[in-house]
Amino acid sequence: MSSAAVHIVLFEPGEGEPGWAGALGRLGGEARVEIARDADACLTVARAPSVDVVVVGPAAVQAAPPVVDSLCGLGLPVVVVLAAPGDAEALAWFRRGAADCVALADKDDSALALAVRDQVSRRRAARQRDAAERRMRALELVSESVIENMNSAVLVVDAKGRVVVCNGPAGHILGRPAESLVGHEARDWFPDARGRGMIARSLDEGLRFKGAESCFTRDGANAPIGLSCAPMVGGEGRIEGAVATFQDLTEMRQLQHQVLQSEKLASIGQLAAGVAHEINNPMGFIHANLFQMAEYATDLRQVWQRLEELQKAVDGGDAEDVRHASGRLAELSAELDVPFLLADLAKAVRESQEGSERIRHIVADLREFSHQDTGEPVVSDLNQCLDSTANIVWTMMKHIVVLERHYEELPPLRCYPMQLKQVFMNLLVNAYQAIEEKVGSSGETGRIALRTRRREQSIEVSVSDTGAGIEAADLDRIFDPFFTTKGVGTGTGLGLSTSYGIVQRHGGTLEVESRPDKGTSFHVRLPLASDASA
Amino acid sequence: MSSRALASTKPPVLLIVDDEARILSALKRALRREGYEILTATSPAEALQILEQRPVDLVLSDHKMPGMNGDQLLEEVARRCPGVVRMLITGWTQELSPGRLEELGVRALITKPWDDAKLKQTLRRAIEDAER
Repeated sequence: MSSAAVHIVLFEPGEGEPGWAGALGRLGGEARVEIARDADACLTVARAPSVDVVVVGPAAVQAAPPVVDSLCGLGLPVVVVLAAPGDAEALAWFRRGAADCVALADKDDSALALAVRDQVSRRRAARQRDAAERRMRALELVSESVIENMNSAVLVVDAKGRVVVCNGPAGHILGRPAESLVGHEARDWFPDARGRGMIARSLDEGLRFKGAESCFTRDGANAPIGLSCAPMVGGEGRIEGAVATFQDLTEMRQLQHQVLQSEKLASIGQLAAGVAHEINNPMGFIHANLFQMAEYATDLRQVWQRLEELQKAVDGGDAEDVRHASGRLAELSAELDVPFLLADLAKAVRESQEGSERIRHIVADLREFSHQDTGEPVVSDLNQCLDSTANIVWTMMKHIVVLERHYEELPPLRCYPMQLKQVFMNLLVNAYQAIEEKVGSSGETGRIALRTRRREQSIEVSVSDTGAGIEAADLDRIFDPFFTTKGVGTGTGLGLSTSYGIVQRHGGTLEVESRPDKGTSFHVRLPLASDASA
Repeated sequence: MSSRALASTKPPVLLIVDDEARILSALKRALRREGYEILTATSPAEALQILEQRPVDLVLSDHKMPGMNGDQLLEEVARRCPGVVRMLITGWTQELSPGRLEELGVRALITKPWDDAKLKQTLRRAIEDAER
């Protein structure tokens, strides 16, 4: 019996407390007895929620039947006290719904105490059960509506991998009505790179997974999803099922792609001034050379005229004419310095060709850089990716930077080369800006070292500079989106975070080490057996 | 410089500075018949060295160069030989404010790619003014 005082309503007309009621004070705990003198009073006080039991005394028996009916209707236990033992009478009360009947025999009232105590404990146990049931039903409702209304898809499987819960979003992503999936075998769903279902791995290996996988969706397409998968571990550490939550990442991937593209355009914008200058120089001398070459052509036409005159004189056979024409030719040749002119013309052509070749290269590099990747990874040479990117960026930095390239021979890598080029570009531009920040216009130069190394199972690309370095306090935040220490308009704060994302999607890592005022190194490590999912 | 008789038969001396040898080559080519003695330097340091060894009438310098920019070079030239006419030839005009050019006493700012005829005329006028 719970510790709260037992609340008894005693229905007994007449005055004072009947002698037999003393038994109610000996229940083994605190008891509060409220006496109701008539049927109405009894029904009123019995409605109090704290009432445990109603005892109907022998004097109330006449008026009791309708009261007992009402009390039983309320679910209250009623114990009827009979003046004398009588089976028929007791049976009648039981039929009415009384919980117990006790006869007052030989002044022995222990039977009454027992009966009341028994009813109170039953009543209290039933109440607790009801409360627990209500709580459980409420919780069930909460979890059901949470699962159903959350944005994520939720799938719960039992130990055998059969679906027990599948919410609407899950059904939507999987392309079937959620109810129809319940009972389905789901062990092989969400295959990893090796084709093993993530649910099976959670059930068999206890694997807790959080990341991106692809799954077959409504239209049978391979859609990217962000999946969390974990075993449900019951008592004794037994795996009793697994929970998978997932989201459709298609839209996010598209956004990511847009951000990537606009970040790239932003960096191209930064480059544009440098590239314009780089094109401007060869343009400048080609332009000037063309002018000069036109002048040389005019000069040479004059020489040709004198030659024709000479030829005419030779044909005419007059020695004096020949001598004269020859003299005029020699005179003009000397004036124009024809040997120089011919040599310089050749030189001007050569230099202009070289200049136009340079422009062609710059434009080709730039065009290659602004390309977009196709959806599928391609086998690429990382040295070439790094080098062509360095070539473009080089134009903007060469007045303050000495660039060192240490490339090891690398195996081909399956990757998204344009995205990796963007990573390299971001790192290079950062390195350049760090050097610019340090040397200012002091006339000093900085050094950027590019290094590629072949590791056991990976390729490492490092970009190190001798620039301003990164403060220790900032080091933890440099990969955060929109974090920038650059001035307004100089950095978007997205360069390193997009780079980080790109490298991560290649299954690789991007690490940084830096010492303020000494310089910074970024290391990109890309696994050779990459399952690039970008 | 004023001590030197510019009106003499000696040709005016131009010092052209650019880190791009092809530009120097093209400028020399363009100015071949202008009657100047043309000296070239591929770095500001080399230009300053030449300036120490020889009298020069006009320095025509690129702006963006490794180690030292054109405006800084001209500042140094002005300090060492105030009489030398100073000009810039560059594609990076947006980096140079009119105030800065005035402060440097730059006679002209020529943009790349340049117009041969205009360049010749600008140089000729500058030399004439200096001779006066």
